[in-house]
Amino acid sequence: MNLTKRVLGFAAVFLLLFAFFLVASASVSPADIAMGLIVAGIVAAFTSTMVIKEQPHKAFDVRRWFWALVYFLYFFLVVEPLCHFDVAKRILHPKMPINPGIVRVPYNLKGDYAVTMLACSITNTPGTVVVDLDGNGRKFYVHWIDVKTMEEDECRKAISGAFEKYARRMFE
Amino acid sequence: MWDLIESACLYVGLALAVTGALCDLLGALGLLRFPNFFVRLHAATVGIIGGAVYPLFGLTLMTIGCDFLGYWRWLFASGSFITAIIIAITAPAGSHALARGAHRSGVAVEPKLCDKLAEDRRGD
Repeated sequence: MNLTKRVLGFAAVFLLLFAFFLVASASVSPADIAMGLIVAGIVAAFTSTMVIKEQPHKAFDVRRWFWALVYFLYFFLVVEPLCHFDVAKRILHPKMPINPGIVRVPYNLKGDYAVTMLACSITNTPGTVVVDLDGNGRKFYVHWIDVKTMEEDECRKAISGAFEKYARRMFE
Repeated sequence: MWDLIESACLYVGLALAVTGALCDLLGALGLLRFPNFFVRLHAATVGIIGGAVYPLFGLTLMTIGCDFLGYWRWLFASGSFITAIIIAITAPAGSHALARGAHRSGVAVEPKLCDKLAEDRRGD
């Protein structure tokens, strides 16, 4: 990895940590800012090559941050309430209408961050949990509380279709 | 205008906190009623996202709306916001580890419609 990439990676991790520190301390007094700069610098110096392995310019792309914000709002305002409502209905229903099963869900993403985000999104929606991952065959094994279909592409459409689009826009 | 925003934040935050309490109750009921470990994980997810992340977002809005807290409200608001984000990012890691470990050690998936993972593993 050449020097420009290293500096860019360091800057990305440093800025993220510094912003995190400022939000967490909720103050802009000189002492807090100095502390934030020092701590963020030390931590970024040690971890930036581990956190960002390639293409650090992606972290400075405004469009990716915009899609991250859109995804955050879409996920917490639309997807999660619907899934919570669905699972709550199954919990409270006297007959408990569940047909659980483990299905294959293929994905078409390369980066570690994109795959991790997709897996975390699937697990964070009630009703689907990622049980295992086949990295070479590019598929998740997802435990689904209501198996509507066992076809791989239909499962993909029903479980991860929306998330995958955003994961590609944010990280690929 | 700011007063209106403050009271809107307060009431939306309170509504989110009540939703969180309901989701925790539902998650506990689901843990009792569901038949096996994997289905119970879904009820646990209701408890994590609905029962911890949403109330913390609600607390963020609520403290922004609380004028009497003075300076401290920004500290509370940012602290609960960051806690909510960190829970939302890290909780699935625990769920993945539990689910994968349980399946590998042979915890029963009954009742089930299909278990593609066991089929593939037998094939290997």
